[in-house]
Amino acid sequence: MADYDLTSRIAPHLDRHLVFPLLEFLQERELYADDEILKAKIQLLSQTNMVDYAMDIHKALYHTEDVPQEMVGRRVEVVARLKSLEESAAPLISFLQNAALVQELRTDKQYNIQMLHDRFQIGADQIEALYQYAKFQFECGNYSGAADYLYQYRALCTNSERSLSALWGKLAAEILMQNWDTALEELNRLKEIIDSKSFASPLNQLQNRIWLMHWSLFIFFNHENGRNGIIDLFFQDRYLNAIQTNAHHLLRYVATAVIVNKRRRNMLKELVKVIQQEQQSYKDPITEFLECLYVNYDFDGAQKKLKECEQVILNDPFLGKRVEDSNFTTVPLREEFLENARLFVFETYCRIHRCIDISVLAEKLNLNMSYDEALVWITNLIRNSKLEAKIDAVLGTVTMPIVHQNVHEQIIEAMKNLNMRTYLLAKNIVEPAQAAQATR
Amino acid sequence: MASRFWTQGGDSDTEEEENSEYEEGSETEQPAGDADGALARSRYLRDQASDSDDSDGQHRVVKSARHKRFDEMVATIDQTKNAMKINDWVSLQESFEKINKQLEKVMRVTESVKVPNLYIKALVMLEDFLAQALSQSMANKDAKKKMSSSNAKALNSMKQKLKKNNRQYEELIAKYREKPEGQDEVAEDADEESGSEVEEDPSKITMFDDESDDKEEEEDDEPAQGAGTWEKKMSRKDKLMDKQFMKDPSKITWDVVAKKLKEIVAARGKKGTGRVEQVEQLTFLTRVAKTPAQKLEILLSVVSAQFDVNPSLLGHMPINVWKKCVGNMLLVLDILEQYPNIVVDDAVEVDEHETEKGADHKGTIRVWGNLVAFLERLDSEFFKSLQCIDPHTREYVERLRDEPLFLVIAQNLQEYLERIGDFKAASKVALHRLELIYYKPQEVYDAMRKLAEQAGTEAGWEDGDADESDESQIVQESRGPPDFVPIPEIVPRRPAFPERSRALVDALVFLIYKYGDERTKARAMLCDIYHHAIFDEFPVARDLLLMSHLQDGIQLMDISSQILFNRVMAQLGLCAFRAGLIQEAHGCLFELYQGGRVKELLAQGMSQNRYHEKTPEQEKAERRRQMPYHMHINLELLEATHLICAMLLEVPNMAATTHDPKRKPISRTFRRLLEVSERQTFVGPPETVRDHVMAATRALRKGDHRRAFDVINSLDIWKLLRNQEKVLEMVKSKIKEEALRTYLVAFSSCYDSLSLSQLTLMFDVSEAHVHSIVSKMMIMDELHASWDQPTKCVVCHTVEQTRLQGLLFRMADKLVILAENNERAFEARTGGGLEGLPPRRREGQDYTGSAASGRWQQNSAGSALQGRQGGGYGGRLGYDGRTGGSAQGTGGGFRRDRSGQESRGGGDGGGYYGSAGRTGVRGSRMEAAAGMVNLSRAVRI
Repeated sequence: MADYDLTSRIAPHLDRHLVFPLLEFLQERELYADDEILKAKIQLLSQTNMVDYAMDIHKALYHTEDVPQEMVGRRVEVVARLKSLEESAAPLISFLQNAALVQELRTDKQYNIQMLHDRFQIGADQIEALYQYAKFQFECGNYSGAADYLYQYRALCTNSERSLSALWGKLAAEILMQNWDTALEELNRLKEIIDSKSFASPLNQLQNRIWLMHWSLFIFFNHENGRNGIIDLFFQDRYLNAIQTNAHHLLRYVATAVIVNKRRRNMLKELVKVIQQEQQSYKDPITEFLECLYVNYDFDGAQKKLKECEQVILNDPFLGKRVEDSNFTTVPLREEFLENARLFVFETYCRIHRCIDISVLAEKLNLNMSYDEALVWITNLIRNSKLEAKIDAVLGTVTMPIVHQNVHEQIIEAMKNLNMRTYLLAKNIVEPAQAAQATR
Repeated sequence: MASRFWTQGGDSDTEEEENSEYEEGSETEQPAGDADGALARSRYLRDQASDSDDSDGQHRVVKSARHKRFDEMVATIDQTKNAMKINDWVSLQESFEKINKQLEKVMRVTESVKVPNLYIKALVMLEDFLAQALSQSMANKDAKKKMSSSNAKALNSMKQKLKKNNRQYEELIAKYREKPEGQDEVAEDADEESGSEVEEDPSKITMFDDESDDKEEEEDDEPAQGAGTWEKKMSRKDKLMDKQFMKDPSKITWDVVAKKLKEIVAARGKKGTGRVEQVEQLTFLTRVAKTPAQKLEILLSVVSAQFDVNPSLLGHMPINVWKKCVGNMLLVLDILEQYPNIVVDDAVEVDEHETEKGADHKGTIRVWGNLVAFLERLDSEFFKSLQCIDPHTREYVERLRDEPLFLVIAQNLQEYLERIGDFKAASKVALHRLELIYYKPQEVYDAMRKLAEQAGTEAGWEDGDADESDESQIVQESRGPPDFVPIPEIVPRRPAFPERSRALVDALVFLIYKYGDERTKARAMLCDIYHHAIFDEFPVARDLLLMSHLQDGIQLMDISSQILFNRVMAQLGLCAFRAGLIQEAHGCLFELYQGGRVKELLAQGMSQNRYHEKTPEQEKAERRRQMPYHMHINLELLEATHLICAMLLEVPNMAATTHDPKRKPISRTFRRLLEVSERQTFVGPPETVRDHVMAATRALRKGDHRRAFDVINSLDIWKLLRNQEKVLEMVKSKIKEEALRTYLVAFSSCYDSLSLSQLTLMFDVSEAHVHSIVSKMMIMDELHASWDQPTKCVVCHTVEQTRLQGLLFRMADKLVILAENNERAFEARTGGGLEGLPPRRREGQDYTGSAASGRWQQNSAGSALQGRQGGGYGGRLGYDGRTGGSAQGTGGGFRRDRSGQESRGGGDGGGYYGSAGRTGVRGSRMEAAAGMVNLSRAVRI
């Protein structure tokens, strides 16, 4: 079932620390051997400063109490560096910890720097040290500290490059602390900067956008309003282009988001277009499902793909998020996805049929339910006035009435706005003329 | 081959001895006498002809010609004498001109540098007579008066001409006067002493020129023989050079060689400089060069002199000269390889004595030159020769076999440039290599690779001529001074080809994308796309094309790049067709066929235009652009592909049009052809590609898919395809599908219901497929029907309109159009849109169910627009058309793409292959249209 696992494609676009949750998820799903994942984790940690954690994993992996010398050495080194950074950033940190003094900071950065310099002898070096210290904290896994410091650093920083990386750091920290609201704010801020800033090369900008999209997956699939957010973001031209250029695998998330989101049906057409264009470079059951349904009208194929989709969703770190509900663990997205996908199939099916056998329908919808249950399901749909149909209980069929638009209505429809348009036109012509007359 | 070559070599050997013998003889025992020089010459000639090559008739012809020339000259001199007697200056003037002309001929046939004594004698005679006449007329005014006016005039002009003419031969004349008889020896000496002056002497040089031209012809006629003559000539010329250099090799200094080189190079381009002669002299100099740097310098001059051999822009460089040129280039590279401290540069003014530094010099030595320019010239000469040679002859094939030769040199040069870090130049060279590779399918590539390998295993792989010249060089070396600077063959003499052409193309393209300039990159990109297309990788090719924004700028590029672009589009169309992507294929191809000038657009032959006469210059320019035959894209296949695509798209569309008049034709070209063919009273059996497709169309419109396919299948172009079976299978299934669609659209109004199994039977398509097609049609509202699932049949809902209703609908449509026109007029007047109105929608855009169809559809809309505007606009037509298109808002999808593109500005344009994004790309396909339309204009200009 590891076929559709995207971790390896997503990971290069994430921060080291952000890959961690993904690995955790994979470990939980037991898609790969435990050893492999542990090794990957150690590798991941080797570049960070979370040496203690790496040691623990090492012990678990090799079932020993010994730790390799290099790790011990690195630990010493890390601690030493931490000390030195702490020292150099100390003046500024002590200043920032004093709430009364922080009150004196204003929005004007130049003024702040001047004031710090004059009154507290805190210069550019200390500010730089703060950044380094924050980064180090982040590397050590102290995300909340890092987030705080980076926030304050941003208030003092004048270098736009640095400020951007501080923002990335803050976003990562917020994501890792699972403060989705703050993270979303940071995300929007970052997006604005990326879109407005002029990059050295378009390639750079593209890369930044792709990173942003990947990082945003954490937020969008956890934030309550994320479902809309992801569609809003990903369907922007530039971001859609970025997906098509270099991150085809993100189509899975876009597709899922569109399927799940009832209010954004109108995006479906565009999505199908994109999926078709990219079918050479990326496909997975979710995109194929849409393709079967909306390009080939192959309902049997769609049915098969739907089954595979379920597995894909369960195994995806973003889509397969679990919710512990007393004793149950459920994957809320799966239920929603399946329900909506079924509706899609049903809707399309009904559009081209006049008369359908209910048992066939139940089968096509992957409902695994008896005739009666299907009957209830359809009845409910009809009752909620989502479907204009009648059930013929004797034959066991659903019959769709053929709606002919009345010719009369059609003509009225065609002419309706003509009146308004002509009126506006006339007004536009007459008014200036009248005004001209009046002035004369 | 080898054996033949050896015998030849022996031949030239004997000849060689003969010559040298003669040379010695001429110095010591030249017989004295009036016309002795000439006689001696002819005797020598006779000897040579009989000794060296008895079987060769050519020399005999030459011999008799030589005699004739001399006889003519003697006769003219007699005439002169007669004229002198009667003091007839008019006829004297005539005969003087005649004798001058004859002198040229004589010099040519005798291949001599020395003016025959006969001529000098005549000159002296004339001079004397003139002086006499002048003094007479001075003394006696009456005598002058006695002369007729025309005679006097002739006398005056004669006076001036003779003065001018004789100045060239002053020395000879003086010698002659000193020693009227038996003066030859002296003259010979004088000749030799003034060895360098010989070239500067204009009249003699022209003789060389003519002479050498003749020589070339001879060589062309019989290449094997050519080596012999070449040999002979060398030696004769050596006579001059050797005199200077052979006396004592130790006395030859750098200065002497440098001076000589300067002299020769200075004569270049001057009127009447013997081009071939110059090459030979320079070649000789290469052997006596003192330092490697000097040798390199001279070699570079040799190469450029070789390029001068063919002065005309249309004709190509003689092939054997081309091959020698390649050989010289290889030598140049050898030197550069062996002495890494020598740098070839054309940027800085080089110190004259730079090349004096010897091989042991430590610092860098700069030599002026531009290797890349040489390579480019070589390539263009190769290209030109292929253009000129009739492609159906063996000669063409032979010429094609020289391709590896060029590739070798390009490869070596590229490696060299990469090593010295000049990647910009290397990328240029890489492009030249790429342009020889890109159009080759794997089979052809393999063949070339094998040829190169085979040739490499044989010792003398550089065909006959080159071998012999090599050989002759050895012969000469044994005789003449040894090469002062021996250069071993270092650079590999045969090209290394990777197994798959893709690997080679990738490597080249990578280098070019990294270092090349805009044009190089664009061309490389086009080649890359072309290559992908012939390897059936349509999606890759398409993405590359769209990513690179090539369509945007193609109309601003040079014509040859535009032709390449057109070729790419054609090949992309074929590729899409093979992959079964009918709509894409049609989108690529229809532009090419819009103006009916495919040949011109692809540069595969001249097309006549009834309304537009071409000037000779235009025609010449067009001829120069032609693609060599082996690079052609088969036009019949292209036409068939285009028409079949158009048929598959247009037939259902036409059926639908009868119900829905708003529909636009997809392919106007196809419609027009169909109209023409329908106007025919009698329809005979199909002959041309077009007839076939039209016959198939007629069948398809009736839903008769079997006949339609049979007709298409009977085309014999299909055997040109690699995977013929598969493509035909695809065509068959497409025809069935379209037949089904056409049938349903056209005849559904006659049915109340249709069963699935019946449709399956009728069209021989699987049930699932039929279901899918019909469902799609239902969703798209092409077919007003729905499925009845339990009985598996299609139930049609035909809506009958009363006449009144129909009229009402039409009225409504017209009113909408009226309102729209009003609004547009208002907008045009005021310049702004109406406020509060919904944005105007463009009808007919939204029936795009599949993404692809949408995209291509919009293209056609855009290009149609352009077509309309085409008449009135000038050079910026394409651009105007495009803005026009976007201003009218061609549908939502398109607008999105455009805005994406615009907001990004030109920034992304720089990114090619994988470097930057495909950002804002989709849908920019319509710009392809712009490119092509405008291109065609450019071509016409």
